[in-house]
Amino acid sequence: MTELFINDEEVTVPAGTSILEACRANDVEVPYFCYHPELSVAANCRMCLVEIEGWPKPAASCCTPVAEGMKVVTQTEGLEKDRAMMMEYLLINHPLDCPVCDQGGACKLQDYAVEHGEGKGRYIEEKRIPNDKDLGPFVNTCMTRCIHCTRCVRFADEIAGTGDMGVLNRGDHMLIEGVVEDALASELSGNLPDICPVGALLDKPSHDVSRPWEMTRHKSTCTQCPQGCDIEIESRNDEVMRIRPAKDGVEPWICDRGRFVYDAFRSDNRLLSPKVREGSALIDVSWDDAITRAVSLLKGKRVGIVFSPDWSVEGLTAIRLLQDVAFENAQVAFELHRRDTRPFAFEEGLSMSTKSIENADQVVVLGSDLRQRLPILMQRLRKRANANKPITRIGAMFYRTNADLAVDVLIRPRDWHAVIATAMVQLNELGKLAAGMDAWIEKVDARHDAGKRLADALIADSCAMLVGEEIRSHEDAATLIHGIDLLMRAAGHAEVGKDGRNLLPEGMNAQLLSGVFGDIRTSAGDLFGAAANGDLDTLLLVGSDPVGDGLFSRQAKTALEKVDLVQVAAISGDMGDYASVQLPAAAYSEIDGTFINMEGRVRVADNPLSTLGEQRPMWKVMMRLVQAMGCDVPAVNLEEVRAKVVELAPACAELADVWSGEKDARTIFVPSARNKGTSYLPTLTEKTKTLDLVGRYSIYREGAWVRASELLVEAGNIHAMDDVIVHPDTLKELGLSEGKLTVVTDSGEFSFDVGLRTDVSPGVVFVAKRGVAGDLSTETSVDLKGGQS
Amino acid sequence: MIKRTLKTWLLWELVMGLALTGRYLFKKKITVQYPEERTWLSPRFRGLHALRRYENGEERCIACKLCEVTCPALAITIESEERDDGSRRTTRYDIDMTKCIFCGFCTEACPVDAIVETQEFEYASETREALYYTKDMLLDVGKRYEPQIASNIAADARYQ
Repeated sequence: MTELFINDEEVTVPAGTSILEACRANDVEVPYFCYHPELSVAANCRMCLVEIEGWPKPAASCCTPVAEGMKVVTQTEGLEKDRAMMMEYLLINHPLDCPVCDQGGACKLQDYAVEHGEGKGRYIEEKRIPNDKDLGPFVNTCMTRCIHCTRCVRFADEIAGTGDMGVLNRGDHMLIEGVVEDALASELSGNLPDICPVGALLDKPSHDVSRPWEMTRHKSTCTQCPQGCDIEIESRNDEVMRIRPAKDGVEPWICDRGRFVYDAFRSDNRLLSPKVREGSALIDVSWDDAITRAVSLLKGKRVGIVFSPDWSVEGLTAIRLLQDVAFENAQVAFELHRRDTRPFAFEEGLSMSTKSIENADQVVVLGSDLRQRLPILMQRLRKRANANKPITRIGAMFYRTNADLAVDVLIRPRDWHAVIATAMVQLNELGKLAAGMDAWIEKVDARHDAGKRLADALIADSCAMLVGEEIRSHEDAATLIHGIDLLMRAAGHAEVGKDGRNLLPEGMNAQLLSGVFGDIRTSAGDLFGAAANGDLDTLLLVGSDPVGDGLFSRQAKTALEKVDLVQVAAISGDMGDYASVQLPAAAYSEIDGTFINMEGRVRVADNPLSTLGEQRPMWKVMMRLVQAMGCDVPAVNLEEVRAKVVELAPACAELADVWSGEKDARTIFVPSARNKGTSYLPTLTEKTKTLDLVGRYSIYREGAWVRASELLVEAGNIHAMDDVIVHPDTLKELGLSEGKLTVVTDSGEFSFDVGLRTDVSPGVVFVAKRGVAGDLSTETSVDLKGGQS
Repeated sequence: MIKRTLKTWLLWELVMGLALTGRYLFKKKITVQYPEERTWLSPRFRGLHALRRYENGEERCIACKLCEVTCPALAITIESEERDDGSRRTTRYDIDMTKCIFCGFCTEACPVDAIVETQEFEYASETREALYYTKDMLLDVGKRYEPQIASNIAADARYQ
C-alpha cells in the first residue's frame, strides 16, 4: 500500500496504482478521455493532467504511478488553463454538431467543454473531414467527431481480440481506420459505441431515434445465454429502446446477441394478445376465450409439455406446479440439446465463478465453441491467454477464439472415450487414482494422444474444467461425464473449495431445473417421437422453438404436424404456424422475477417495464390454466409461488432470504447438482457410418428471440459459414471434391452444398443447425458420397 | 386657510378632474376597432408556432429535441429517425396548443431557428382537436408566415 496526498487529503491505495485510479477511488474528479479501467493506458488525450509537488511540469495522471508521500493537486489555475487549451485543441476539428449527435447529453467532450473549455473558439480555418466507415449493421460512424483517444483500437486489440480497428498516420493526419470487410468480426462489437467518449461511434440500429435524457432505465438480467449478464434496459414510454451493460454489473461488457435482441422486443413477432386459430389465420381474442379453447385441447387429452429454460425461477416452478396438479401423466421435456437424459455425475452449471476460472492455473475446454456460446466467458479467457496463462482445448474444430491457446487438439466425437481413457492411464502412472477408474479404462481399448494433453493439464494445482456441448450432447454423455468426474477426482480437483468441474449449460436456471424437474424429465426426442406416433394429442409448448433450435428439429416437425399445439410464449416465431392457441407471456424485461445464471449467481428483477399488451407473467398464465382445468390452484400470488420454489428445489433454499430482504442477492450462489454414486461404464458400439456429425452453434441464429430480431439475423447472414463443412482431407480420403454432395444418414439421404475448412477435424461433418442443414442435427454419424440423391 | 376654504367651496378638485376628462373627450382616440383595425405587434410577439424551411425547401428542424425537453408544459412531442440521405429528421412533431403557455422557450432552445412563434394569434377553434398541431400543420404555418418570421428575426437579431 502507498500513502499519498491528493489535494492535501491523505489517501492510501495499493502500490503501483496510477494517480488517476487513486483519484477515482477517492472520488476526486479528474477529467479524462482515453483512459478506460478495462483497457491498457494510452495517455494520448492529455486531459488528465495533475500537478505534483516538486515536479517541473504537470503530469498525465493516468500513466504516472503513485509514490510514497507524493503530493498531488488536481485543481489549480495553471491546470485549468492547460485543460482549456487541451479542449481548444480537441475541438479544432470537431464539428460541434451536438444537436444532431446521439451522444449529445451523455458526452464527455460536451461536458468537459462546458466545464473546462473557453466559451468561444478562435479557430476559423477549414476543419478536416475524414470519411465515415462502414463497420456493419451494429456500429454507426461519424469520424469528424473523433478525438483519436484510441479506445476503440485498444478494445478491438485487447478485448475483442480481432484487431480490426487501427490507426493510420499521425498528428493532424491521424485517422482511425477499420480493417473491416462486411462487418466487425467481433461478437462484442456493440460495446464500441459505449466506450467511445464522443459521438464518433454510435449504436447504429437506434441511431437518430432517441436522446439520452428521454430514457428510463430498468435493471434486468439477460437470458439470451447462460451467462446471465446484468443489463440495463433503456425504455421510452415503456418501449424498449436499447440494452446496455449495467454500470455496477459483474462484467463490463455484454455481447451483441444480448444487446441487439432489443430489436425483437419491438418486432411483429412479439406475442401481445391471446390468439386462437380460425381456419388458416390466428385472430386476437380475449383471455377468457383463449383459455377456454386451450382447455378444450388439453382436458382429458394425452399431453406433452416442452418448455424453454429461460423463464424466471418463478415461471419455471409454476410450470412444474401445473404439471403436478393438472397433467400428472404428461411427459415433460426442456432439454433440446441433450440426447442422454440419465443423471450426470455433475449436472449443468458451473462450480466456479468466471473470475476464478480466469485465475485458475489451468483451464481445460472440452468441445465447446465458447466464443459463440458464451462470449463474455471467452473474453475472460482471452484476457487470461493475453497474460500467457495456459488454456488447453480439445474439440472437433479449432473454433475461432482470437486468443492463443497453449494446447489445441482436434478429435472426432467418437474418440472421447479413448481420450478420457488415455488421460486416466496417464494419471494412473503418476499415482493419481480414483475408485472406479480401472473398470472404466478396461472397457475402452482405444487410446488417443489428446488424452495425454488432457492429463498434462490436469496435474496443475488448480484446474477449471469446462465441459461443453460436444460432450453434453453426446449420445453417451453420462458415461463421458462420469469419466471426466473420475479424472477430476483422481487429480484432486473435485474437493470442496477446489471443485473445478463445470458443465456449461444450454440455458439459464440450470441449477433450479435439475432440482425441480430432475425426477420427471424425459428426452425431447422421445417426446416428439411419441407425438409423431400418435401417442399424444396435444403439445403444450412454453416458449421453446424445437424446430429452430436443438437436436430434434426433424422429429419436432413431424410431431407438430400430427398434434394440436397450445403455445405460451413471449415471441411467436415459427411456432406460430403450428399453434391452435397462443397465450402471451411477459418477457424478461416485464416481470418481477428471479434468474440464476450458470455460475449460480442470483438476480432478482424488481423494476420491470410496464407491459405494452395483454401479456401476463408466466406463473399467472400457468395458474390460470390450472384454474380453468378445474383443479385447485396451488399458488395465488408471487409469494406463494416463491414458497413453492424453495419447497421443490432445496438447493434454492437461500433464495427465500433474498426475497424477504434478509440477504443481498449478490452474496449467495446456488450450487449446481451433483449426482454422487452414479456410475456408468462405456459400452462401445461400433458406428455404422464413417463420419461424425457435429452441429454448429451460431450466436446470431439460435433462439426464438434472436430470430425475431432483424438485426441479428442480418449479422447472422454476414457471418454465416456454409451449411455443411468438412476438412479437405475428409473428402480426399473419400475421393470426392467439394460442391453438391449426398449426406447418407440412417433415416435417408440428403444433398447439400459442402464447403471446405481446414480448421475442422478430419472425419467430422459440421452442420449449421439453422438453415437448410437443420434437419441433419439429429444425426450423430453420417456418410458422404458423390452425386445428388 | 382662506385658499383651502375657497378650494373646498368652489369644488376646485372637481373642476380639475372634469378638465382632464374634457381634454380626453376632444383628444384623438387611441381605441383600436378590432377586427377592422389592428394594433402594432412587437417582433418578439409570441403567437402561433411555426416550423420553418430553408430557402431551398429543406426543413430546418434536425430533431435535436431540445424544444421538447425544455418545454415546461410538456406540449411538444417529437419522434425522429435517420432519413435515407443520412440526416436526422423528425417523423413526428406535435404541439398541443391547449397545453402550450407561449413562454417561447422552444424558440430560445432551437439551434437552427426551426421552431418559431409568429405574430398570429387568431387561431381559436370550436374543437380541441383543431388545436393539436402536427408537423404538416406547423410547416404550413411556416410557409404562410415566412416573410413575417424572417423580418421579425432580422429585427431582433442585434439583441440576441
